Amino acid sequence: MKTADSIAFVCPRFAAGGAVGGAETLLRNQAARAAAAGRRVTFLTTCARSHFSWANELPPGERTVDGMTVRFFPVSPRDEAAFLDAQRSICAGGSVLPGTESAWLANSVHSEALYEHLASHGAGYDRIVMGPYLFGLTYRASEILPDRTVLVPCLHDEPFAALEATRALFHRVRAIMFNSAPEQALAERLFGTPLPPSAVVGMGMDDFAADGDAFRKRHAWADVDYLIYCGRREPMKGTTLLLDYLGAFRRRTGRDVRLVLTGSGPVELPGELAGAVTDLGFVSESEKHDAMAGALAFAHPSVNESLGIVLLESWLAGTPALVHACSAVLRDQCKRSRGGLWFRIYPEFEETLLWILDRPALRRQMGTAGRRFVLSEYSWAKTLGRMLSLLDEAG
Amino acid sequence: MDNLFEIGADGLDTAAIVAEIQATVERKTREGVYSDPHVARAERSNLANLKNEENFLTFYLDCLRDAVFVDINDFDIYERRRRFSRALVAFKRLVWKMLKFYTYRLWSQQNQVNGLLLTAVESTESRYREKMAALEARVARLEEALRGRAS
Repeated sequence: MKTADSIAFVCPRFAAGGAVGGAETLLRNQAARAAAAGRRVTFLTTCARSHFSWANELPPGERTVDGMTVRFFPVSPRDEAAFLDAQRSICAGGSVLPGTESAWLANSVHSEALYEHLASHGAGYDRIVMGPYLFGLTYRASEILPDRTVLVPCLHDEPFAALEATRALFHRVRAIMFNSAPEQALAERLFGTPLPPSAVVGMGMDDFAADGDAFRKRHAWADVDYLIYCGRREPMKGTTLLLDYLGAFRRRTGRDVRLVLTGSGPVELPGELAGAVTDLGFVSESEKHDAMAGALAFAHPSVNESLGIVLLESWLAGTPALVHACSAVLRDQCKRSRGGLWFRIYPEFEETLLWILDRPALRRQMGTAGRRFVLSEYSWAKTLGRMLSLLDEAG
Repeated sequence: MDNLFEIGADGLDTAAIVAEIQATVERKTREGVYSDPHVARAERSNLANLKNEENFLTFYLDCLRDAVFVDINDFDIYERRRRFSRALVAFKRLVWKMLKFYTYRLWSQQNQVNGLLLTAVESTESRYREKMAALEARVARLEEALRGRAS
């Protein structure tokens, strides 16, 4: 068994402040922890910050961050219109023509400079960890040294997962690191078994202290009951659904439950919710954690999750969760942790929220159970151990 | 009440709580508690999430039934601004009176179309459901007969 001493992490964007997704945060944290554990880590990424424009905003070159070398490569020119056309066709559902799939892949984000680096220096890395599965860069990079490549897919049940290229990617790599057992089960269902060796790793969470009362005091909300959602605001994440449900709940029950949002993306508030929704936008981590701690529950209406980092954070803040049952991952987390409840349709949302509202003691009990679950299952000691075992054993 | 679902030292059995809530929802649904256009409207962005579920179409049609008719009746006309509120309300009432004959005709026809379309989809769905049930029963009978022949 060869120890993975030198590890490259590959991700289209590097998570450094600002709005980045969960997958980028996951890969950066895994890389930083591997570096702290004494492995030689190089992070290969692009100069892009926006996953819409993929414009080269950061200067190319090499920098040292958290004890690891981060190399930024420019994004290659791409035909954005052709990409969006193909993406629309794929998202429309039904069978995807090979031409559409190849147009989507060819015009996704790529970096020829990064591929050249991997081709010429890849042999110096014992393992090349890359993800998420959704980007052209991951497909192409995985073809360069597949027998050293470990995929962190962050897989969701969505039209892109059904592409032939995705199936090939999952069967091409040396090993796969999943974020949760339901994600692993989804991959097995979509791509068939046997898949390459895999493990459920996830991301470690650092404990923090949060003060919900202080947040309520700062906002003069001593007696306000509110739900909280943190993260990107877009239909794919279920924020439209949450706003629709909250509006119906307030109208039908007459209970003054409000919503606090943090994160990025536009929010279109229906008139009836004016005054009931507070959009804090980007806030510091401590402000976010205080806001979580003061909430009735963390509402996670997304059905496209492979881990749910913010859900784990809200449990660390001692707050129970209310998640969409169609997300197998979030439902499984709530079931295993006993820290949250789930709904499938509006009537279940209404009944569950009323249940949460009227039972403060049980709410606290769920929050405590969630916190215990995160501290035991998602400590860095455990997740790093799982990750390094897989990387070493895949040698 | 708070101790209803407490299970041992491990905390709450959230699956049991959800099952209990679902049973309550089923009962209330039968009682018509959720037959409400607000519920139908709230579900608009959830329908895509439920497309793989067996009862999706039934649920979708239930939602449609609650929202299919546009309300064309008179409604309360009010004004939030304090200044000139009486004059503004009178003006709005006048506008509504002038437009009513036109919108009434337009929306009543639209409601007719909506209702007919819903009925057509419902009857198609129910026919297919019956057909599927008959086919499933037939397959089960044939499998039973095959098993009998094999043994």
